[in-house]
Amino acid sequence: MIRALALMACVLLPVLAAAQDGPALRPGHAMVDASLVWAGGYDVGSATAQLRGNAPGATAPPFTLLRADSRVTPASAALIRVGVALTRTVAIELSASRARPRIGVAISADAEAPVQQLPGETLQQYQFEGGLNWQLPIRAGRMVPFVSIGGGHLRQLHEDRTLAETGQVYYAGGGARYWLRGGTGASGPWPLGVRSDLRMTLRRKGIDFENTMRTYLSVSLALFIGL
Amino acid sequence: MMRIGAATAALLITVGASSSSAYLKLGASVNGRVVDATWRQQPIGYFISNRDGNGVTAGDLRGAVERATATWSAVPAANVRFEFVAMTTAPPDGTDARNTIGFLDRPDLDRVLGATSFMVDTATGSIFEADIFFNTRFLFSVAPGGQEGRVDLESVALHELGHLLGLGHSAIGETERSGTGARRVIGSGAVMFPIALSAGTVSDRVLQADDRAGLSDLYPSASAVLDSGGIVGRVTKNGQGVRGAHIIALNPESGVLIGNFTLNDSGEFVIARLPPGPYILRVEPLDDAEPDSFFTAAIDTDFRVTYAPRMVVAPRGGSSPSIEIRVLPK
Repeated sequence: MIRALALMACVLLPVLAAAQDGPALRPGHAMVDASLVWAGGYDVGSATAQLRGNAPGATAPPFTLLRADSRVTPASAALIRVGVALTRTVAIELSASRARPRIGVAISADAEAPVQQLPGETLQQYQFEGGLNWQLPIRAGRMVPFVSIGGGHLRQLHEDRTLAETGQVYYAGGGARYWLRGGTGASGPWPLGVRSDLRMTLRRKGIDFENTMRTYLSVSLALFIGL
Repeated sequence: MMRIGAATAALLITVGASSSSAYLKLGASVNGRVVDATWRQQPIGYFISNRDGNGVTAGDLRGAVERATATWSAVPAANVRFEFVAMTTAPPDGTDARNTIGFLDRPDLDRVLGATSFMVDTATGSIFEADIFFNTRFLFSVAPGGQEGRVDLESVALHELGHLLGLGHSAIGETERSGTGARRVIGSGAVMFPIALSAGTVSDRVLQADDRAGLSDLYPSASAVLDSGGIVGRVTKNGQGVRGAHIIALNPESGVLIGNFTLNDSGEFVIARLPPGPYILRVEPLDDAEPDSFFTAAIDTDFRVTYAPRMVVAPRGGSSPSIEIRVLPK
């Protein structure tokens, strides 16, 4: 992620300008966007099925029947976000997204079966997030970068729809808005533009076989409209 | 009320090779329908035969049996209770309306450590008498940490008491053939695995998840029904059901292993009393013990180890939708 942010900074630096005259948020006004998100994959745990070994004493080494490494695959998601500007640069945002990632399972260490990748199950995943968005006091024409931070609730439903597991997500990232229309005054046509985000997400609980914090990257592209 | 024509059955735990048995639970045929053979009245009273064994006394046997009954009674998701009645001069065989546990000379059963025999009411499936014998052909031990070259009496008692309660054999285990052709256990995932661990080993004094699930299935506590789940499915080969396939469910979070078999020609299986959650399912032919340790009818062992294509959830208080697992011939 650091490498990606550095790249973004390099692109922006040559064209940076003071933001006072550029597009800005309208305090008290809402902004709605619809995004397409691509989230990276992440491991959700390894399990080793072990049998008790057969040797005198209580410390006989176990016999490994199999090993299973599970991973949530990269997936795209649809996201709806509503933001309300508190100032010309700061907005609070609420979002909801739905994705259908898969959990693939890699089987190994089975003396009677080859190493193999199981297709896995398709999850229904919902995320509800809230956060802060700060538009940086720099711009490149009608493009203005921002940073964002927030957290939310994760709900994952297994394929059979018989078990839902919940967790929390926390994110930090940045991106840029490009105003196609409006954004420079308190009145005028509804602002319209595109927005891109790059985030690092920290996921806690949900489907995880080791109950460990997991991180993954996501990128998104949105069309926004100001109200 | 009992019928006169009660049925008897014997279950054996063996070293190196096995004899007769069933599957996870023992069944009794009642009016053409197979029902679980269970005790309907508890506590289950038992007598200890006052004959000493090879290397241990009758008092040692009583202590080992008391510890083993306490182990089964301590399974939290099940309701079973035992009661020691008295020492007796009667041997652990015959039909006397008493449950007797003791030593017998059975030199003819040169690989059998112990066995359980039953009287089952064929009208209800209720067990109303069971005897357990331990074979004096073997040198036993009750040493807390085991004793090299001696068979741990408590471990064998725990296995046989599982049969007394109505459990059949579990197939969660791996074996290898020795030079004599006998099987040696290299890994075991259940006390109810039909082949004993080597002499001197005491790890079969501790019940495994598969044992606990089986007991809970037979004698569920009120909470067990609500707090556990089941997985149902079907194993097929070339579109036809596979009888006798062994399915192991692995919980990737806890590492718990619980198994069962396809029990009919349609290849259907049920794995009950699972801790709720997702499971990886592995299907294997029954080739780590003699098939007749589990089934009296012919079973299909001509297929490769196969995994279900995805994890299956055992939902709390219910069962999964049926999943089909297709296996290929070897």
